[in-house]
This record gives sequence, C-alpha cells and structure tokens, in this order.
Amino acid sequence: MTAAAELRELRSTPAKSKPENKAAFWFLLPWFLGLFAVTLGPMAASLYLSFTKYNLLQPPEFTGTANFERMLTDERLHSSLAVTFTYVLVSVPLQLGLALGLAVLLDRGIRGLGFYRSVFYLPSLLGASVAIAVLWRTVFGTEGLFNEGLALLGIEGRGWIADPETALSTLITLNVWTFGSPMVIFLAGLRQIPVMYYEAAAVDGASPLRRFTSVTLPLLTPIIFFNLVLQIIHAFQSFTQAFIVSGGTGGPTDSTLFFSLYLYQRGFGNFDMGYASALAWLLLVIIGAFTAINFWASKYWVHYGD
Amino acid sequence: MRPERTAVTRPNLTRRALGRAGLLAAAPAPLLASCGIGGGGEMVLSDEPVELRLSWWGSDLRAQQTNEAIAAFEKQYPNITVRGEYKEFGAYWDGLATTFAANDSPDVVQMDEQYFNSYSARGALVDLNEAGEFLDLSKIEPDLLFTGQVDGAQFALPIGSSVLAFAVNADMFAQYGMELPDDTTWTWDDYAAIAAELDARGGGDITGSGITGGVDVGSVRYWARQRGNELFGADGDVTLDPDLLVGLWEYYLGLIESGATDTPEQMVEDTGAGVEGGGLATGRTAFGQIHNTQISALRQGSGADMRLLQLPQHDGTPGNFIKPGMYWAVSAGSAHPAESALLVDFLVNTETAADILGTERGVPANTEILAYLAPQLDESEQIAVDYLAATVPGEPLIVVPNGASSVNPLLTRLGQEVYFGQTSPEDAAEAFITELQGEIDATK
Amino acid sequence: MATRLRALLKHLFLIACAAVMLYPVLWMVVSSMRPNDEIFRSPGLILTDLETGNYEAGWNAFEHPFGYFMVNSAIVVLGAIIGNLVACSMAAYAFARLEFKGRRWWFAVMLLTIMLPVHVIIVPQYVLFSEFGWVNTFLPLIVPKFLATDAFFVFLMVQFIRGIPRELDEAARIDGAGHPRIYTRIVLPLMVPALATTAIFTFIWTWNDFFGQLIYLIDPDMHTVPLALRAFVDQQAGTNWGATFAMSVVSLLPVFLVFLFGQRFLLRGIATTGGK
Repeated sequence: MTAAAELRELRSTPAKSKPENKAAFWFLLPWFLGLFAVTLGPMAASLYLSFTKYNLLQPPEFTGTANFERMLTDERLHSSLAVTFTYVLVSVPLQLGLALGLAVLLDRGIRGLGFYRSVFYLPSLLGASVAIAVLWRTVFGTEGLFNEGLALLGIEGRGWIADPETALSTLITLNVWTFGSPMVIFLAGLRQIPVMYYEAAAVDGASPLRRFTSVTLPLLTPIIFFNLVLQIIHAFQSFTQAFIVSGGTGGPTDSTLFFSLYLYQRGFGNFDMGYASALAWLLLVIIGAFTAINFWASKYWVHYGD
Repeated sequence: MRPERTAVTRPNLTRRALGRAGLLAAAPAPLLASCGIGGGGEMVLSDEPVELRLSWWGSDLRAQQTNEAIAAFEKQYPNITVRGEYKEFGAYWDGLATTFAANDSPDVVQMDEQYFNSYSARGALVDLNEAGEFLDLSKIEPDLLFTGQVDGAQFALPIGSSVLAFAVNADMFAQYGMELPDDTTWTWDDYAAIAAELDARGGGDITGSGITGGVDVGSVRYWARQRGNELFGADGDVTLDPDLLVGLWEYYLGLIESGATDTPEQMVEDTGAGVEGGGLATGRTAFGQIHNTQISALRQGSGADMRLLQLPQHDGTPGNFIKPGMYWAVSAGSAHPAESALLVDFLVNTETAADILGTERGVPANTEILAYLAPQLDESEQIAVDYLAATVPGEPLIVVPNGASSVNPLLTRLGQEVYFGQTSPEDAAEAFITELQGEIDATK
Repeated sequence: MATRLRALLKHLFLIACAAVMLYPVLWMVVSSMRPNDEIFRSPGLILTDLETGNYEAGWNAFEHPFGYFMVNSAIVVLGAIIGNLVACSMAAYAFARLEFKGRRWWFAVMLLTIMLPVHVIIVPQYVLFSEFGWVNTFLPLIVPKFLATDAFFVFLMVQFIRGIPRELDEAARIDGAGHPRIYTRIVLPLMVPALATTAIFTFIWTWNDFFGQLIYLIDPDMHTVPLALRAFVDQQAGTNWGATFAMSVVSLLPVFLVFLFGQRFLLRGIATTGGK
C-alpha cells in the first residue's frame, strides 16, 4: 500500500540481467548505518512509549492502548486536527502555486534575475528567527502596517493575529511568504530541462503558453511531485512559526493550535510524553496516508525522464 | 567527558557497553525503562577537584552577572569549578526535562513555581534540609521559604519574591486631569469608574485600562483569596469555587462591554508583546497588571512615569501573596549535592554575591541581604521594594501542585474564550476545574 | 513594442512582489538602528535617530563576542553540508539507479523517517547520544548527516537523478565504467543544481536550527547563533530588542551572502552542459 505507485515506477526501469545488490549495499552503507544506529532506535522507542504513561522523570509505565483510546474523547486534539488540516489544504497549494509561478517567471530571459531571486528568498532565510514574532505583529497587529494599508482604502482592519477568526490565516500568509525553498527547487528543476526541447518546440512554432504546458510542465512533474509530497509533510508537521507567533500557546483560544504544537505541549508542558508519542504515531499514520495517496496519484501525472 | 560523574550516576556498565556497540538502538524499551532519576552522590564535601553545572534561564544581563558570581565562588572554593548554562525561558524547560530524562541533569537548577512540584513530586530534587551543614535557610523570609516545601521537605530555595501589582501611567493621569486613586482603600467599583472616566476623557486616543485579569493565574488567585477561597488546596487538589471565577470573568466582561478597557484582541496582542511592547508601555492604556519586579523594564520601555498601585479591595480581606520569583534547587542526580548546596548558599546568602547579582532575580528572599542592598537600589528597584513593603499579604501561597504545570495556559485559553464570547463564563469555569483536576489526577 | 511593454509589466509585477516580500525584513534592519523604546511604536521605515549602539551592545552581550558563536555555527554548518552532500547523494544514486533486493521497501522506510515529528524522537535520541558521551559536542549535529539521516535530501536527489536521461550512463556502462565511476563522473556533475540546492538548504536550515542545538550544546562555549539570539529574550525582566534585531541582522548576513553566491550554481546543470 505505502508508496505503491512509486514502487511501480522504480520497478519499471529497464530490467537488468543481474541485480546490483553488492554495489547498492556500499552506496547505501552510510544510510543503513544512520537508519539503524540513529533513526530506527528512537523511532521504536517512541512507538513503545506510545503504549505507556511516561512523565520523563520516572520510568515509563505500560498502559496498553489507553493513550489511543484517550484520543477519541480529546477535544483539543480534534480541534488541533481541524486547524492542521485547514492549514495544510490551504497553505500548500497557495505556496506551491506562488513558488512555481515566480520560478517560471524568473527562469528565462529576464534582467536582474539574481536580484529578484535573492529578494524572494530572503524571507525564507529568516526561518525560525525570534524576530519573526515581533515582525508579524508589526504587520498584522491592530496598529500594524496591513491595517494602515487597509485604512488608505477606507477599510477598517482588526487585530489579525489576536482575533481567533483570522489568526490562522496570518500563519498561512507567513507560510506562503516563505515560499523560497520550493521556488529554489523549482528553479533547479527548470534548469535541468534540456534547452533542445524548447528549441524543438520553437521550430514547431509553439506559442509560449503551449511551450509551457507541453514542455515545461510535463518535464517538471517529478519536481512538482517532490515539492508537493514534501510540503504536505512539512505543513502537517508545522511547528516553529506557530510556536513563535503565539508564544507557544497556539492561541488565541487554540485557533492556531497545530497538531505538532499540541503534541509538544503535552510532552514537554504537561510531562505527558507517553501520550505525546502516541500522538506522533497518529500524525505519522495521517501523513503516511496522504503520501501514499500522492504516490498512487502520481502515476497519472508524473513523467520521469528515465 | 566527565568520568568522575559518569561513574557515579550511570552504574549500568553493560548498558553503556551495549550503547557503544550501537546495539542499544535495537533495544529501546529497556533503554528507557532504566531511565529516571537516581544515583546521586553523598552529602559530604570532596577534597578532590569537583565540577558542577549551574543552569538558569534569563537574558544576557543575567548571564553576565551570574558568570561573575560564579567566578567569585570559584575563587573562594578553589577545588570547585562551576560551568554556567543559560537558555531562554521556554527552551530552558524543554532542555531541562530532556536532561533529567537522560539522567544527565545539571547539579543546580533554577526552578519556577509552575514546575517546581512537577519535579519534586517525581523525586528529581534534593531535600535541602539534609544540606543544613552547607546551606543556611534561617535568613529566608518564612512565607517564601514555605513555598519551596512539600510535607516539610525543602525541595527548593526561593531566590527572590514578586508581588502582583497594578501599574499606572501617572503622566497620562496628569494629562487628562485625573487624580491617582488611593490604593489603600479603593475597590473594584472604583477601579471600573476610574477606567471609564479616563477612557471618556481620552476621547478615543487611549483606553482606560488594559484587561487586567481573568487570563492569568495571579489575578484568579487574588480574586479568590479576597473572598476566602484558594486556587489550590494544601493536599494538591483544585479548591477554587467556580462561581468566583464566573464572577471575575463577568466583572471583566462588563468592563470590556462598557468600552473602558482594551478589546480582547488588544489583550491578546499585549500578551504576545511582553512588558516593553504592550499597550501600557506604548502609551495606549493607563492601567495594566504586572509583577512589581517588572517595573524597571516597564519604565525603561515606556519612558513614562510609571507607578505601582495595590490591586483593588473587596471587603478588606487581603488577596495578595508573595510569590517566589524563582528558586534554586539541587538535582537528585547530582554527584556532588554538598558542593551544590554550598553554591546555592553562596548565591543567596553572601554579600559578595549580592554585590554582583543585585535584585536582577527579584527582591531578595534573604531579609538580611535585602537590607544590605537597600542603599544601592536605583529608583525603579526602590519602587519595587517599597511596593513589596506596602503589600499586606494573606496566607502563604500554596504553589502549583504536581500535574498542574499548565494551569496558566489553560486559564489563558478559557479566559480568552470567555472574552471573545465563544464560551459562557459558567461553562468555561466548569471546564477549567474539570480539566485542571483531571491533569492532577492523572499524575496520582 | 509589445514585448517591451510586456517586459515592463513583468518587472513592475516583480518589483511589487519584492516590495511586499521585503518590507518586514527592512523593518527589522531599520529597527536594529532604533533606540529600544521606539521599536514598538514605529511600524514605518523612516529612521529619525540613528542608534548604532545596538550593534555594539549585541555583539558584546555575552562572555564571547557574537562572532564566536558564528564560528561555532560555521563549524556545525560545514560539517553538515559535507555530510549531506556525500551521504545523501550516494544513497540517492542507489535508489535511483541501482537494481537491488528490497529497494521498494527501503525506499518506503526512508520516506517514513521523514514523517515522524521530531519532538518525540528527541528524548530517546538524546539518551542515545548521551550514552555515546556526545552531549556538549558538535558530534550529534554533524555525524548523523554523514549517515544520510536527512532523508529529505535523499528524496530530492532521487527525483533529480531520475530526471537525468539514462542513455548517458548506459553509454558509460558500455565503455566499461563501474558504478563508482558513473556516480562520480556522470551523475554527480549532472546533478550540480541538486547538490547546490542541498548545500544551500543545509546551510540555511542548520544555521537556523534551534531545537537540536538547544538540546545538545549545553556549555555557552559551544553555543551557536540561534542559541545566542534566543538568549537575548527574557519574558519576565525585559528584552533588549534593539540588540536582538541587530544581531539577527548580523546573523542573516552570512546566509544571505551564501545564497547570493550559491545560487549561481543553480544555473548550471543539464541546461548548459547537455543542451548547448
């Protein structure tokens, strides 16, 4: 089930007469070492902890499926799921659309390319800076810049971050604002498209729009797919920005309580690491399902060069 | 890295050998099962060189001062080296929980009222009474000392105190031709009337007051204590009368609706902005609720004549309380509890340390040190100390019990729901008590 | 004429976007040159008094000058970049080009490792590294990169390698080249954009990473830029925001320069080597 389509794609490469197990082993050796020594152990530990009551200070106590049963009635969990799904479904398409659009616009034949690219990437450099919180308030606060702009248009603004109805949308804006990473990946992908294809299309007299839809888009699909998969995973795990902007509370009134933030509050704020681990595995299942659907759907629209 | 420590705190050599071989990863369950606090050293001074780790949260200024105090301590005890570690408040607790989980905690840690019982109840801290030889507790203000005790065991030593206060912008009162209220007699009704009057005279340029209660533990405690009630009982359960919480929220809802105070949106923005970025500091409102020790930051951030007022009265029953600003505690995993106690003693009880540290960690809990420092205080510090002296506290504070470490965020969330009109005060009060008691019960 | 007009419109649009994108960043730069009590009262960009003292105060706020933390960060970043480039590209080559037993399965496992939230792994992982005696060293932040634990980049490179026409390595194979040779001589040069992306992202993400560094780097001597920046903030007593912004700007400079310089490498790759 997991990544079924991807597996098919991987298998569809020209069959070799002999498997390359030995070479593969050496190429994968560092990754295997990392997987077994650094990653799988802690993952297994967290899986075990998800069946325990563990307060970090005393040994974990096995409680069976109690943590998972508790999820059914945990209202804050349910509201954090709603917040997270909204965030993922709105911010990922917006962010990727903007990143792709600007990447294409910036790709060829424009003056000051390097300048624009750097400027557009600059917000992403700020990343998790503590300055972001203050920054965002000066933009979206009651007396912030955004409201001043609205006032020029005669519209009365509000405290966007502080109002439970709009707080989440400011975080979505923040995520869209930092579209630099997918944009750079798109740019790198565009650079990989052989120029000869465009030349061939030009010879055939294809319009720019037609070149975009029949050359650029199909050849870029592996990268679009990559960005889509990763940004969805990333958005589901989103933590830092909400943490910084809301001061770790997910407020006002839980309106920005992302799943990861809730998990973090349970684990470190309430010394409830057993339940937090169970939540982590719930998230993993959710993300895994989304990724699997993505891989399954990819066989209908992603074209590989190989 | 520190063999002398490792040998004591981690006797399980086979586990370490396994870990070195990389096999540990395959056996996570036993790895974590053996976690937990334990194996601290004996309460005697060592003749050998000793290395201690001292950990605190706070700003760059505190780091500078504390490092200086450490240097003075090392000069006095040449065989002890102290490594100072500091982090920002939120990050500090994540790091601390992780190091405690790995049995790799610092020897001396700065503690907070919110988390103190979460650590002490799980056997993570040393009873400082056992360190009597090295650490003198007799000069600490008794009500404060009490806040570091559980069933007579002194698991933490209060460093300084802080008291709930109303801060007012005296410049603003003068500007709009108003008198400052007499804070020894004024009532909640007076406060509401003054806020409304200011708001009216401000004509939209200012709001009369910030929302000074209902979303933080301090104001709820104050309101309840004024009415003979307490948030927590001595047995560690929630004893708050939900009707009182409803009353508090309704009082503020009335103020919000009258327009005399900030809107709930502005309140949320201020919570995020901190003392120096809030409406009080930026000159938007005349009243705010702070702790007396924050007056320096407020005066600096606003550049205005900020004063402290006692909170309004109800029927004369004192509601205020002296809250431990922060504590020092010694980790139960420390290999050198005696030296750790010595370090705490130095930081809290000596004039050498007081000269360096001043009142940066709050008004000193050690009454002799407070008297010693009195002549050196600057204007803002003097305001804070005078306010403390003028405060009539009620019964000693019962600190946040084990399991209730998230009481403040819980109250913030529910209080906001009430102020934004999402939940009725009755339902929110009910939810507050149920959820909080549930968290406490889960640890029993 | 129509093309000129279109180019102009394109530029106008881009400049408008750039202005919106940049405003908050510029505000931070301007705020770093304002006195502390003015920062929160001025959403505008006009500077009335120039206050350079913030830079001096911020630089010398801790027992080491701020540059010391930048050097620490640089060490971690450099180790992480080298580790990621080597280990991830090797693993990616195997996943994208080699036929081996259980490939599909391992690929799924690799994806799975990206999906678990970091906060619950951090405690077991800390216990593990603490057993190794690696706490308070840079090792927990660097060694895992040499073991390709950043599966994100493995996946990224797999996608890029699969975009490289197979005829190229088939041709080399017919000439008798083995996998190490195909990997170093054909695939690596052709995936320079992906490698540059990896290097740039690793730089930025490691430079900004807070949680990992917070847990493992205990001693202030080992502190990195994010830890030092966060240490300015004090919710209780008050924060020197001017100094915080000043040092935020200082710490932003290297990342910005790296990006400005590094993005040239995004231009190369097949587009130039294969096409022209």
